[in-house]
Amino acid sequence: MKATALLAWRLLWRDTRYGELSILCFALIIAVSCSTAVNLFSERMQRTMNAQAAEFLAADLVISSSEDISKAWLDEATRLQLKQAKTIEFPSALVENDELLLASVKAVSALYPLRGQLKISDETESEITTTQAPAEGEVWVEKRILPALKLHLGDVLNVGEKALKISKILTYEPDRQGDFYSMSARVMLNERDLAQTHVTQPGSRLHYSFQFSGDEKALKTFHDYVKPKLNASQRIIDIHQNRPEIGEALRRAESYLGLLSILVVLISGVAIAIATRRYSERHFNTVAVLRCLGYKQNQVMTLFVLQFLILGLFTSALGCGIGVVVQQGLFYLLKSFLPATILQPSISSLLLGFLMGITILFGFAVPPLLQMQKVSILRIFQQQLEIVTPSAWLVYGIALSLTSFFIWFYTDNLKMTAIIMGGGLLTLFILRFFLTHFLLYTKRFLPKISLNWRFGVEALLRNPKISTVQILAFSVTLVAMILSYSVRTDLLKDWQLQLPNNSPNHFAINIFPQQFDKISSDFTQQNIHSSGIYPVISGRLIAINDVAVQKIVSKETQGDRAIRRDLSLTWSAQLPEDNQIIEGEWWNKTPVKNQVSIEDKLAQSLGVKLGDKLTFTISNQEVIADVVSIRRLRWDTMKPNFYMIFSPTTLDNYPQTFLTSFFLPKEQKNLLNQLVKTYPNVTVLEVDVVLTQLKTIFTQLTSAINFILYFALFAGLTVLFAVIHASLDQRIYESALMRVLGANRALLRRTHLLEFALLGFLAGLLAVLISQVLLFALYHWALHLTYSPNLPLCVLTPFGSAFLVCLAGFSCVRNVAKKPLTTILKGK
Amino acid sequence: MIETVNLGKTVFSPEGALQILKEVTLKIDKGESLAIVGTSGSGKSTLLGLLAGLDSPSTGSVFLNGQNLTAMDEDGRATMRNQLVGFVFQSFQLIASLTALENVMLPLELAGDKQAKTKASALLERVGLAHRLSHTPIKLSGGEQQRVALARAFVTQPAILFADEPTGNLDSKTGNHVIELLFELNHEHNTTLVLVTHDKDLANRCNRKITLEAGAIL
Ligand SMILES: Nc1ncnc2c1ncn2[C@@H]1O[C@H](COP(=O)(O)OP(=O)(O)OP(=O)(O)O)[C@@H](O)[C@H]1O
Ligand SMILES: [Mg+2]
Repeated sequence: MKATALLAWRLLWRDTRYGELSILCFALIIAVSCSTAVNLFSERMQRTMNAQAAEFLAADLVISSSEDISKAWLDEATRLQLKQAKTIEFPSALVENDELLLASVKAVSALYPLRGQLKISDETESEITTTQAPAEGEVWVEKRILPALKLHLGDVLNVGEKALKISKILTYEPDRQGDFYSMSARVMLNERDLAQTHVTQPGSRLHYSFQFSGDEKALKTFHDYVKPKLNASQRIIDIHQNRPEIGEALRRAESYLGLLSILVVLISGVAIAIATRRYSERHFNTVAVLRCLGYKQNQVMTLFVLQFLILGLFTSALGCGIGVVVQQGLFYLLKSFLPATILQPSISSLLLGFLMGITILFGFAVPPLLQMQKVSILRIFQQQLEIVTPSAWLVYGIALSLTSFFIWFYTDNLKMTAIIMGGGLLTLFILRFFLTHFLLYTKRFLPKISLNWRFGVEALLRNPKISTVQILAFSVTLVAMILSYSVRTDLLKDWQLQLPNNSPNHFAINIFPQQFDKISSDFTQQNIHSSGIYPVISGRLIAINDVAVQKIVSKETQGDRAIRRDLSLTWSAQLPEDNQIIEGEWWNKTPVKNQVSIEDKLAQSLGVKLGDKLTFTISNQEVIADVVSIRRLRWDTMKPNFYMIFSPTTLDNYPQTFLTSFFLPKEQKNLLNQLVKTYPNVTVLEVDVVLTQLKTIFTQLTSAINFILYFALFAGLTVLFAVIHASLDQRIYESALMRVLGANRALLRRTHLLEFALLGFLAGLLAVLISQVLLFALYHWALHLTYSPNLPLCVLTPFGSAFLVCLAGFSCVRNVAKKPLTTILKGK
Repeated sequence: MIETVNLGKTVFSPEGALQILKEVTLKIDKGESLAIVGTSGSGKSTLLGLLAGLDSPSTGSVFLNGQNLTAMDEDGRATMRNQLVGFVFQSFQLIASLTALENVMLPLELAGDKQAKTKASALLERVGLAHRLSHTPIKLSGGEQQRVALARAFVTQPAILFADEPTGNLDSKTGNHVIELLFELNHEHNTTLVLVTHDKDLANRCNRKITLEAGAIL
């Protein structure tokens, strides 16, 4: 064994010295560094994104509860070394200078916020960020509180029985959850002052939020520990569940990045397989000679596997190193897009990159290597002896299992794995069959065309099997790139749809009924586009078909959240913009009293169907309504959205205020003052801050995705070079021979160009076909987006591909015609 | 037909400059056959390569049919070869992915000959391979491959044929067969023949014989 290892090392060394291995090595290093960089990058990106999402929670994990939680849980968190913070929110009426204001008080513990930052300002209005909660005896308030209560910075504000000094104006808190309709002004104080306010009596409406941050594993342990112990009023939220719109974006981005990584691995795998195949073929004679010299078959295999192991260790390490540098460089390049602090890569993911390098190498290199096993000793006597390939199924089975494993590993989704593998394989087999036969058929009917063309086409047809493999390899790469590009574009489009440029950025709430007409006309006058003014009536759903909802609804669902607090109810004669009836019918011109239209996701989680009877309490009275329609709506549009819309007149006798949302460009901000002056009772919420936050996140996701796309492109180019390099020897030889026979170099160049162009064009054409089928499947089953073919892309791809292959191919073969012709005399 | 003046070739290796061909002056008439003999490494292939314009000399010049090869560029020499020269090599040098017929058609196609197929099949029939037209070289024996190579060399009706140890890779019986064929074709087409060989008998069948040693004519 030791002797074999030594020999392996020496053979490898000689090979590198004679330049035989350089191409293989190069392919390997590119592949490994590429996938390592992608891995590291997406891992760090994911963790950073998660951290961003954590900012919206002000923690990594939050237990929300209407009562204090058991001490045992907190002890468990301490044991797991999680950092802890706590906030208690409650509504409280503030009275100062004979003015009354309903505020939302938030008492926070010392470590709050665990993630993200608070923003505060003083009279100078310059904003500063801090991670410190207000000190004892101090209170921070939202700006609108000061004029409302005729107070100034530095004055004393009484919260319950405690007098606190207003030391700062609070301009931003990371975990402000937007139930915009009922958002009242914020007052933030230190938890230690809470007891002395005496506002929190048993039975008062408190909202506790226990926040945790720390090691991902510990968090998971804690999550699993707490989850089964939660009672009906408690919920556990982590960064993936928080904020549906961001959660969704993150989840999609994660599966997208995962998908991209698989594609890069696959593409690299193709390059490795091609390079190894060439390596094997170059060594058939070596194998025959070694066998002649008395080496046993398995010794020969050990020899080559050892060489590959050495190579794998070396290149993986090098690749990892390059990968780290490359991804670091990328973060550097993107630093203006990215959050200020990027989390460091974890050692484990670096190790994973290394292991993966070796795994990719062997997964894709073993099949071609196995071919060597079948080399006959007789080859010594007869160079041209053809190789008996080992059972193709066994050989490609290895690569396939590995690929499936990777896909499963990244997606953690068996269905998706099955779709990708099954669909992919089937397509490949069918395509291979048709392509080979298409080429054979063309060859037979090759028309009498000009010499250049004939030679070009013939070069492609000469060896239909090899051409098929080359075309398929290019196609797969292109498919990967088209998929990446299309999914990215469509995800982006989807995200942008979620946040249209002039989506409402302000909410006006608490509009009195008598102000309705005037405010509407004011809006029209000022040319402000509002998304409709809706009445709001607070109410609670208590029964479905006379069964109490608590008995029906399971924990953790949207339904649960909807029934545990007051719902904002409304009535409307018209179906609101962006709402879509999916079942039943919207009421016509003469609506019937006591009918209700329900949002579809809530209906699903409550198990409500058309015709069901819903019972609400509104101002201590019961209202019963029949479900006549189910609506689908977009929650992420910043427009007033309602779970329940009643038919007109149903809610006439209940106290109601109105709300609207509208878009106000920055230049028109001064209109706000006017509005607030004219309607002092109306509260205007500026949600553009939240919108900016969302946009930042989406921009970052986009950059990350764009960036990894370049990697796929890079990997694709590697394949391109590997394929062309693999046929380089033959090209050099044939070109030299043709020149001996009198072909001039221009002809050879044209022939090559034409061959490459055809190859690229065919590959592009195929890629368009495959990718569109896959995209359809992917959108339909995995990403839930609507599929619509991108026609310009479909048309441009074949030409672009032809161009790309020509470019890469030509740069490889441009020296082919320089080979000294005397080599032909020496017998190759 | 072929004329050289002070033909020399120097190559540069890590060990220094190496003169592998020294001041060769030669004149070969039309229809004449010349054998180049000498020990291995004496410069036979080097000389052949220079005569055929596969390589350019360090000193001196080569005239083919009165035209100075040395003054031409690579593409000019290629056209010259296509019109004037045929080759037979020791290791056959057929294109593996082309059939026998296609291999023979190749030089005609390069010359833009419209009747490539007819001419090529006729010549393959002449060398006794009418039944192997669509076979690729891999399926042919060495002798058969060399006959395909002969057909390819003669199909353009070249004025000059260069052959570098055409029997080197064949057993003597097959070799003799190929040689017979070569001389027959040579005679039929009245070709000027330059032949490199180790084989004394073969050399003796030529009109003239030169012996190389260490790059110089003895
Ligand atoms: N490009 C080169 N660089 C260095 N040395 C060369 C080069 N080409 C030829 N030689 C040397 O020149 C000498 C003549 O080579 P050539 O191939 O002409 O010999 P040959 O007579 O054909 O031998 P053989 O009978 O073995 O074919 C040899 O010693 C060879 O090593
Ligand atoms: Mg020689």
